[in-house]
Amino acid sequence: MGLFQKLVNLLGVGRKEVNVLVVGLNNSGKTTVVNSFKSEEDKMTDIVPTVGFNIEKFQNQNLAFTAFDMSGHGRYRDLWEHYYKECHGIIFVIDSSDRLRLVVVKEELDLLLQHPNICQKSIPILFFANKMDCKDALSSVKIAAALGLDKIMDKPWHISASNALTGEGLQEGVEWLTQQIRENLNVKH
Amino acid sequence: MDRYFFLFLKMNVSKWLEAHTDRSANLITLPRNAILADISGTGDYNLVITDLKFKTDNKSRLKTFRGTILISDQALPSLPNSLISFFADRLEPRIPVVGVACGSEVFFYKNLKPFYQFRVPSCPLIDHESNIWKEIIETKQFDVDKMVESLKEIPYSNLSSRSQQLLTEYSLTKAEAFIRKYMDSIPVKDDTITCMITLERTSKDKTSISCPIIATEFSNIYILDPQNFSIIQQANTCNTAATPFLIRCSGLYDVEFRILIATREGHICLLRKGWLEGKSLIQLKSDIVDMVLVPGDNFIVVASVDKIIQCFTKRGQRLWSSEVNSPITTMCLVRLEHLSTSLVAIGLKNGSIQFYQGRQAVDYLSIADSPSVIVFGQLGQEENVLVVITAGGSISFKILKRTAEFSNVPQESTPLIQSKPLPLPKRSKLFLEQSIRERQHALEIHQTFQQDLIRLRLTAARALIQNLTDQSGIGNEKEQIKLSAQVLGLGPKFTIVLTLENINPTKPLVGLKVTFHVNPLYYILSNYVIKIPLIPPSLSFKMQIKAKEIMEESGNEEQSNSNAIRVFVSRQEFSIPVLAATINMPPTELIA
Repeated sequence: MGLFQKLVNLLGVGRKEVNVLVVGLNNSGKTTVVNSFKSEEDKMTDIVPTVGFNIEKFQNQNLAFTAFDMSGHGRYRDLWEHYYKECHGIIFVIDSSDRLRLVVVKEELDLLLQHPNICQKSIPILFFANKMDCKDALSSVKIAAALGLDKIMDKPWHISASNALTGEGLQEGVEWLTQQIRENLNVKH
Repeated sequence: MDRYFFLFLKMNVSKWLEAHTDRSANLITLPRNAILADISGTGDYNLVITDLKFKTDNKSRLKTFRGTILISDQALPSLPNSLISFFADRLEPRIPVVGVACGSEVFFYKNLKPFYQFRVPSCPLIDHESNIWKEIIETKQFDVDKMVESLKEIPYSNLSSRSQQLLTEYSLTKAEAFIRKYMDSIPVKDDTITCMITLERTSKDKTSISCPIIATEFSNIYILDPQNFSIIQQANTCNTAATPFLIRCSGLYDVEFRILIATREGHICLLRKGWLEGKSLIQLKSDIVDMVLVPGDNFIVVASVDKIIQCFTKRGQRLWSSEVNSPITTMCLVRLEHLSTSLVAIGLKNGSIQFYQGRQAVDYLSIADSPSVIVFGQLGQEENVLVVITAGGSISFKILKRTAEFSNVPQESTPLIQSKPLPLPKRSKLFLEQSIRERQHALEIHQTFQQDLIRLRLTAARALIQNLTDQSGIGNEKEQIKLSAQVLGLGPKFTIVLTLENINPTKPLVGLKVTFHVNPLYYILSNYVIKIPLIPPSLSFKMQIKAKEIMEESGNEEQSNSNAIRVFVSRQEFSIPVLAATINMPPTELIA
């Protein structure tokens, strides 16, 4: 049996499936981030504001990701919490050029962290300080300070500056997330 | 304890997020001079304000912010008084026109570039004034003194600005030079714009084409065509003298609309489609500060200088009024579409903003100093942003939390909905029989009831009379003292026995005295003041005094009026009696 399992793992047949939740305010670039993880032929050319949510699938290092790309519009943010229970990781996308709404980002993050389905779990949170190419974009360090990320003690988190249009910074972030989720899964089994 | 702490937290947590505050922005902006508009057509809303500079060498500016960052700053030709934005066409991308009223002109900007200038038609000159100037133009000769004298005959406010300026020149040489400078043309009397608003043309959506409406100093109202800026309707504010300074509207230009104009005289005038003259709808006793129309009900909320907010229906009936604790500086409508409600934000001079939902204050914000303009709407990508510019020049951006709710706390006026049905008993046979009997003998039952009622009243009245005539039973409920008197004897010598009873079951009575008041012409008492010793609870004290009637044959008739002894029970330190009673003395039976 052990040999068979090893063989399966080696061939990559029994890939583990994980769910990640992609959240963030509207116009922060969640759909664009998810889009750049997809294979060339699946990529969308024009991206419109998401209504409700989209489910996208992509792979990274033998993990099959199911991404719940949530709408960030104010009236759909209530939907986020319904997916907290099943998710193995969270990708939080931030528009680093939108200084005005940084307080709103913090508010939404706090609501997320206080949610009973999140606060007891030690799920990894990956922050993308997106739109780093914009000229008035804040650095990822400044964003981490503004959001008070240093106060998150019980969950692994990582912030990386990104540009979802070119794909810069995304791979680094997602590799961190993959590793974290893999560690979590190994602990459980 | 935990629960109290939670309550405490809940009460103090603000519904607003502090997005950004700049205390050194140094902006001087007046109400109706700040708008939120998507001026670039990208869906990223901008804040457009006018920054007033009152010094002549420093021009006022039109400033545009993207988010919290100033992106454009351009000089305005003169002092601006109001700012509007509206969609003029259906070209893609949809870019609105920004209109700034300065003096008698409106400057229209698109994409932050000026593209049209509209001038309000000038008013005709008074014949007398135009004759004076015509004469000068024709003859090229003038006498300054004579001219000034004849101009002074006309009321100052009816003159053209050129004549007004001439009258303010003191020195003769300067006045002469002034006339020489302008003696080739007839002056024009400019009409100054006082306020502006926009009115949607055919539909109510966010990007529908709207018509600008302009109100002027000489109480003219102009509705402009948004495409070619020609006047499509012109009207007078009111049939009486009225200077509009604030204008609000509801409805659609093509269907039916209502324009409400607040005037400096304290009137609110109504103008509807097709009217050539507005009608005064409401008249206020004090000056109006600001006015908003609450969508939906079309209620008019008016703030006046005497710190009062009043709400009127669209027909002008007053619904409610409320007083605030500080003078009102500005008001702003806060439309919360996601909660399908509207609040009215009221800026107070003491540096606070109160939010009213209907007549109730539902929220409160505290800011650095008195707000001079408040504007609420979409800014950037965020839909519910409150921008406050204060008199001290600071600007602050506040974002309404997504989770904020303005639930109506139960009001006294609205009765609670009866959730439980009344506990009615089952319909028994007995009940049915009874009701049949009541139906058959209704008249008799009614009569019997009425008879019994009358009897009851009679018994009550009798008991009252008896109580009044019978001297015993005078008491003071509050002090719990009861006094009764008894008169013994046939006269002319009587003995009066007074009983003072302490009804209080727990407290003793201390420090009382009884004073007798009597007409000394008729009675002589053995004692006029009696000090009462301590009366223990639920016990009584009896005292006796002797009264002697002075017998005079002649005074018998008068005596009947004053054959009374008045008794006062009082505490020793106080002059107000605890209890007062009158003892009617019986007449002396003269034995022949």
